[in-house]
Amino acid sequence: MARLEVQGLCKGWDFPVIDDLSFSVEEGEFFVILGASGIGKTTLLRLISGLETPDAGRVIVGGSDQTRLPPYQRRIAMTFESYALYPHLSVYENIASPLRARKVAADDRERRVREVAKLLKIDHLLDRRPGEVSGGQKQRTALGRTLVADPEVFLLDEPISHLDAKIRHELRTQFHTLEDLRKVATVYVTHDYAEALSLGDRIGVMGSGGRLEQVGSPRDLFERPVNLTVAEHLGQPTINVISARIQSENSQTFLTAESGELKFSLPDEAKAMLQGQAKDRVTIGLRPQFIRPLRETDTGLEVVTAEVDVYEPLGANGIMIAHSGGVRLIALTDPEMHYDAGEKVTLGVDISRFHYFDSESGYRLNGAN
Amino acid sequence: MTTDTGSTTDGVKDMWRHVRFLFLAFLVLWVVFTVFPLYFMVITAFKTAAETNLTVPTFWPQDWRPGNFAGVFAEKTNFNALLDSFIIATANTALSLFLGSLAGYAFARFPRQAGGENLAFWILSNRMFPPVAILVPMFFLFDNTPWGTDSHLSLIFLYLVFNLPLATWLMMVFFRDAPLEIEEAAYLDGWRPLRAFVKVTLPLVLPGMVSVAMLCWIFAWNEYLFANLFVGSAVKTYTIVIPTFTHGSQTLWNLQMAFSLIAMIPPVTLFILLRRYMVRGLSLGVVKG
Repeated sequence: MARLEVQGLCKGWDFPVIDDLSFSVEEGEFFVILGASGIGKTTLLRLISGLETPDAGRVIVGGSDQTRLPPYQRRIAMTFESYALYPHLSVYENIASPLRARKVAADDRERRVREVAKLLKIDHLLDRRPGEVSGGQKQRTALGRTLVADPEVFLLDEPISHLDAKIRHELRTQFHTLEDLRKVATVYVTHDYAEALSLGDRIGVMGSGGRLEQVGSPRDLFERPVNLTVAEHLGQPTINVISARIQSENSQTFLTAESGELKFSLPDEAKAMLQGQAKDRVTIGLRPQFIRPLRETDTGLEVVTAEVDVYEPLGANGIMIAHSGGVRLIALTDPEMHYDAGEKVTLGVDISRFHYFDSESGYRLNGAN
Repeated sequence: MTTDTGSTTDGVKDMWRHVRFLFLAFLVLWVVFTVFPLYFMVITAFKTAAETNLTVPTFWPQDWRPGNFAGVFAEKTNFNALLDSFIIATANTALSLFLGSLAGYAFARFPRQAGGENLAFWILSNRMFPPVAILVPMFFLFDNTPWGTDSHLSLIFLYLVFNLPLATWLMMVFFRDAPLEIEEAAYLDGWRPLRAFVKVTLPLVLPGMVSVAMLCWIFAWNEYLFANLFVGSAVKTYTIVIPTFTHGSQTLWNLQMAFSLIAMIPPVTLFILLRRYMVRGLSLGVVKG
């Protein structure tokens, strides 16, 4: 029943933080907002929950305008980045708090708290204080407090970003399995693109202007980023960005890197597209997985010789940072190989995977969304 | 080389020994300096009046008079003075805490709406003038109230001048330390602001509140200057009773000290009882980590 709709939200203090921001989340949808730290993600959640009043715009839940409603009258639950547990109350009382506030009968309250605690595997900790449980358990307690409230909208503010990498992954999968989260509109805020790709039904990438740069499915965002900001935000290691000049030689068209001597031939369809836009300069984006040390079986790859600067073996794969003709390239390599700094390597570049961005605005050129 | 190093370490050791000795000597002196008045008070309380007036003081009573402690209550009203002091101190503390918490909360959470740093500082500055400067104006002011100067109410309200700035300022600091997010989490749980305050924020500042209560109570309990001028017939505080232990032109030091010792019991007891609440750090380890 409850669909969350945010319309033209604005909020600023000395400078605008949220600027004319709109999106909607369907009931049962898991919407992830991805953005760098300090870009206004938390402010956005605080506006939706009613902890801040917007300068303009509306927050609509289930068709009713709740913009001017105080937080305690909204059916919106939120977990804080800091967890914000009540230090003087037990884990049980922390989880029971929303039920007490809404005067739920004692036996019903007891049943629901235990149910949620069991679901989150903290049922053995109910008598402890928040100061006596681990970070992951605190996070689960905070989550339990929001789950038990049975709200119409869930807001999750970086719920797992302060935990160890291993627990973070464990809890990430937990979000997949929590049925309750799949029944209502959920807004999940994070700066970690992997969390976003893993959890989001849809993702909104927030840029520095206080707006959503792009909203779409994880696949959409990863494969067709609307601009450089989005492209750079998704993916680890970061996408290779090369400024290039479009040059013709002997009836062939090339892309020449502006900062060096690196030169790629231009695929035909891209050539048609770029000529259609009458550009002579372009910014190329290429994900590191499409650059790799050349193998004999490889075909259709542009060959580039490069010198290794840094090599990071990471177990499942390796990250090579190399330079070729004055251009820095990041490549994803196979795990069984090893490279030393200073080593000369031959790299294969899959030019069919190039993303083309406007060299001035940074917006996508091939096929605007 | 080895002998050299040996003698150097010996030298250093020697030096440390001397420093340690000096430090201990200083501590002993300090203890004597601070404990001696208390010691002299106790033994004086047990002496005879004649012995307290000897030109060469005795450091151990020649004649033990534990009866002095009963003697101070020969005048029935003297016990009432302790009671009056207790009523005034307790009521004033309660009032200071109540108003100070509200004001402190406002300054901590809504600094702009509450008048900002300047107003908060102005309130604190009320403690900076010498109290005696307002002695006479205050007397005339309270003389015109329905309850007059010689009443519990006059001192209960008057001591707010000193205790309220202290309570406001300290509570402001404690409220600032209490994480706002915890209160906001309570709003989102569905608690109205006042309920959220009582349920979440108040327990967090309680240790601080107990400390503030102690400070306010002790000030009001021990105040002499204003009490001496304001009250004296209908109401008497114990502080203005102490100087009345005289016999002709002779000061009865023994009775004064005995009564002072009795007056020390309530604050010391309170301190011992409330000590464990004064430990701070209840909110440690809650936010992050």
